[in-house]
Amino acid sequence: MACWLLAERLADRLSRVRIIRDGSVGHRRAERRRSLITTTSERSSRATPDLKLGEKTKLNAPPILEIVHATHRYGDTVALDDVSVAARQGEFLTILGESGSGKTTLLRMISGLERPSEVQALRLNGEDVVDLPAYERNCTTVFQSYALFPHLTVGKNVEYGLRVRGVPAGEREERARAALGMVRLEDTFERRIHQLSGGQRQRVALARAIVTRPAMLLLDEPLGALDEKLRQDMQVELMEIHKRLSMTFVYITHSQEEALTMSDRIILMRRGKIAQEGTPQELFDQPASRFTAAFMGVENLMEGKLVALQGDRARVEVAGQVIVGRWPGGVINPGEDVVAGVRAERLHLGPPPAQAEANWLPCSLQGSIYKGKYLDQTATTPVGEIKIRLWEQSAAQGEPGGIWWKQSDCMVMRP
Amino acid sequence: MIGNPRLQRLARVDTHQLDQRGRYWRRLSGWSGWGRVGMCLGFFAIAMIYVPIALLALMSISQSPLSGIPYPLTLQHYGTLLSDGRWLLPLQKSVIMGVVVAFTCMLVATLVGRAITRMKRPGGVLIVSLIPLFVPGLTMGAALFIFLRTMLDLKLGLWSIFVAHMVWALPFALLLVLVVASRFDLRLLEAASDLGANNWQRFWQIEFPILRPGIMGAGIFGFLLSFNELLRSIFVRGQETTMPIYNWAMAASQQSQVPIIFALATIILLVTLPVMSIFFWLLFRKAG
Repeated sequence: MACWLLAERLADRLSRVRIIRDGSVGHRRAERRRSLITTTSERSSRATPDLKLGEKTKLNAPPILEIVHATHRYGDTVALDDVSVAARQGEFLTILGESGSGKTTLLRMISGLERPSEVQALRLNGEDVVDLPAYERNCTTVFQSYALFPHLTVGKNVEYGLRVRGVPAGEREERARAALGMVRLEDTFERRIHQLSGGQRQRVALARAIVTRPAMLLLDEPLGALDEKLRQDMQVELMEIHKRLSMTFVYITHSQEEALTMSDRIILMRRGKIAQEGTPQELFDQPASRFTAAFMGVENLMEGKLVALQGDRARVEVAGQVIVGRWPGGVINPGEDVVAGVRAERLHLGPPPAQAEANWLPCSLQGSIYKGKYLDQTATTPVGEIKIRLWEQSAAQGEPGGIWWKQSDCMVMRP
Repeated sequence: MIGNPRLQRLARVDTHQLDQRGRYWRRLSGWSGWGRVGMCLGFFAIAMIYVPIALLALMSISQSPLSGIPYPLTLQHYGTLLSDGRWLLPLQKSVIMGVVVAFTCMLVATLVGRAITRMKRPGGVLIVSLIPLFVPGLTMGAALFIFLRTMLDLKLGLWSIFVAHMVWALPFALLLVLVVASRFDLRLLEAASDLGANNWQRFWQIEFPILRPGIMGAGIFGFLLSFNELLRSIFVRGQETTMPIYNWAMAASQQSQVPIIFALATIILLVTLPVMSIFFWLLFRKAG
């Protein structure tokens, strides 16, 4: 009798546990749905970034990461040359650059896997961590190679950060399952790493890094090994996770498209130095140098000399032609070398337009490349070859006589 | 038509010639009987290994083992062996020596193997540590004897046998560890540190489990090489007697002792084979 009672009570408790668990799972799902909705609305609000920028400056949160004058050398080669970086709490900061530009070194320095040759200060959450080893820093990394432990199951991999912190087994599993749920891999808990696809491994690496709720998540080209479609899906997923965790993300990539899509702020690196830093909008629309412009995909860059500066309008002489464009600000004198840049999609074919605020060059059309959605047309002008992106294929018929573009679409920058 | 048609014709002529030339070899290699030939050779090789061992076991229960005729069967040699007891101490020494050499091999091979895989130029160290593999046993034994006994004037004993065994077994152990350690991805350790593991934790929880097959293999080989070692031990034994030395002395000296050796060898076989089998099973059951 007593035995039966006990069994009944046990069954009762078990079912209650299950209800709680189901409830929490359901709640979690609803939460995810809600956050998905907010993400999409957030994305649409990105169309008006100025408003968002205003919000950001109002926040004025103390920096969670501060690197002041860091230099790092490998033997004789300087990987990082006097770089200072700061990140706000909750920010999605992207470090953009070609391979060898020092971006990975910067990340390893933050995580503690590399000790800078010289640094004035390296603060995480206000605490100086220069002398703190990697395992005592409250930030985790999603490695490019994923670096998952091959001898452990998926669940044990995700649990690892908790295991070394001495979290009891029960709680460990619960939190690991929750983290796997966040990357939609709940049912792979018992699986082994080699049974997973590349995309799944990437998510496990992400789950393993966020399970300890670090102050900051460092991502080292995490989408580099994935195919195009998966990469785009993961971009959205990462943004969603970033939003939900309100964690600071420092993201490394060489893809300007990835950087533009996801970041609050971008730091563009070149040969161990910061080439330019700003919001995606700023880097895209106001490149400060020829390097930034080329990296951000400005196809047409024309070298010339500054003739005159009137307000924010700069008159540039390029191969005998005068081109007018936007000057982003800063002191410059007439006669100095500058570069005028214009994106291929902002060019139009045809005679000089009636509106005065435009540049016009005579041209003759050369070859074109069919790209499906558009046509990449090459034209010869007095300033050299120009690339034009035509959205209507019929526009390339006949001789247009010239190309024109708005002065506001023309960016003038230092070489 | 893609490409230059002339080139294609040239290519065709070429493959035709290759056809002609290769026909004989292809017909030979295409013969369906090769599998069976391979199987037969394999059976022969295995028989050559196991038949003598089985015969040894059979002869150990035969009246007169040296005659080559198994009958009549008897357990008399085992009885003699048990009542004798002189072999127990050498066996004990050999087992202990084997275990000590095995553990030292595991430890040293792991340390050196890990160090070698982290070096920028491991070539020199690798060659120096593997050269003892190619030094003949007698040479090494004699050299050790001259060095330790005549030059340093040390009293030889178990410790010098241990030194000789280590010189012999360590290169093998090191090779086994290196096979696994050279494939170990050091980035896993960075990942572990990044997740909060200190140096000790990341070794025990990440590196050691992955290197374990190699380290265990080093231990097994260390034990076996030490347990069977005779050539070097003879020189540096001092007054000590290990199992192989005892067997060798017995087999070499008196005819009457030979049947006992048969029995003793069988007992050793019956003990070591199952132990090693269990060891291997424990080691590799997860992989399967």
